[in-house]
Amino acid sequence: MFALLKRDLYLALYSSSSFFYTSSFFVLVLVILPFLFGTNDVQLQVLFKGIIWIGLSLSILLTMERIFNADYEDGNLDIILQQNPSIEVIIISKYITHWVVYCLPLFIVLPILSFLFYVSLDSFFLIFLNLFFGSLGMVFIVTFVSALTLGAKRTIFLKAIIVIPLFVPFLIFGTNLESWPILLALSMMSFVLSMYVSAYGLRLYVE
Amino acid sequence: MNELKIEDLTCYRGENLVLKDLNTKIKSGETLVIRGSNGSGKTTLLRVLSNFIKSYNGKILFNDQNVLEDSNYRYFFNFVGQKNSLKDNLSVKNNLKLWEIIYQKNISYSKLLEDFNLLHLMERDVASLSDGQKKCISLLRLNFTESKIWYLDEPFVFLDDENSQTLIQKIKNFNTNNGIVIITSNINLQNIFTNEIKI
Repeated sequence: MFALLKRDLYLALYSSSSFFYTSSFFVLVLVILPFLFGTNDVQLQVLFKGIIWIGLSLSILLTMERIFNADYEDGNLDIILQQNPSIEVIIISKYITHWVVYCLPLFIVLPILSFLFYVSLDSFFLIFLNLFFGSLGMVFIVTFVSALTLGAKRTIFLKAIIVIPLFVPFLIFGTNLESWPILLALSMMSFVLSMYVSAYGLRLYVE
Repeated sequence: MNELKIEDLTCYRGENLVLKDLNTKIKSGETLVIRGSNGSGKTTLLRVLSNFIKSYNGKILFNDQNVLEDSNYRYFFNFVGQKNSLKDNLSVKNNLKLWEIIYQKNISYSKLLEDFNLLHLMERDVASLSDGQKKCISLLRLNFTESKIWYLDEPFVFLDDENSQTLIQKIKNFNTNNGIVIITSNINLQNIFTNEIKI
């Protein structure tokens, strides 16, 4: 597992634009808000709680092609499958890499954005917890959709249609600051579902 | 002495019968060429032999052990498919680094690239290379494992005469060291490798 994890992290490092693009996208989605709704403190705080989830959802959704499809299309998936006897190990490694590469940068810029949107320290802490648990569940969801649609070309819209409804519970509970335990529970359920369905998707490819 | 035996192999892809009652065996030091027209099942056969496809009837035995039950079998072969397994947006060197990590083997890139006289391409992005150059680099994966069998899917496609000769020499050297090679090909290689089956 560690070899695959290291390989995926090196791949992200070599394609360093990955880090930059997703965090820039996230920042831009948030920064355009004051231009649309003005700079009223209270209004911005309310908007911030919702719009960070839109930013996070779009960042995760737009990068889902890179979980399995990129390796499938260039043939690297065969090497990965040959070198790793357990499909479950491959899936767990992909969860970790995808979260580290595409979600972690968002958490790095989050304190600065919270400051810009006049978010109090207490609220920031709860938003951070919500986003952390929610982002895990969202990564689990896009991973299994990515595995199930392996080999299907130019299907980002189809994938979005499958993924967005599954994101809705995270968005509903994510905007409530006290609901991190629910998001944790949702993520745990997503993990169980994702492990099973992702393994099925990869086995379909192998078979 | 190693031996790979295929016994009554039948394989369906969906509802299509791709391989029917295939029987053959190949020993250490031999190269088997699988010939057939497009869509005849050559790639499917290699993927079955490499354990990527596991649903089939019949048996594949490596040293009399069923490959489906042998957890170590994956260490015994190296599969180079038609896809190059290269990341287009990375340099050749970084692609080799990724292979080095996944195969967990340290290797001198310069020495590796000298095989096909590709040393000058080390820092080039893969996207800027020709199909032939990409094919040569993908074949360098054969050096990353100490395997006993090479499965090569259409390895001569895109290669010029010089690189084809280099690959033939590599295959012969591998045979000399008791390696088994199975190649799929559309072109006639009988004047080089005499052991051939048609599917």
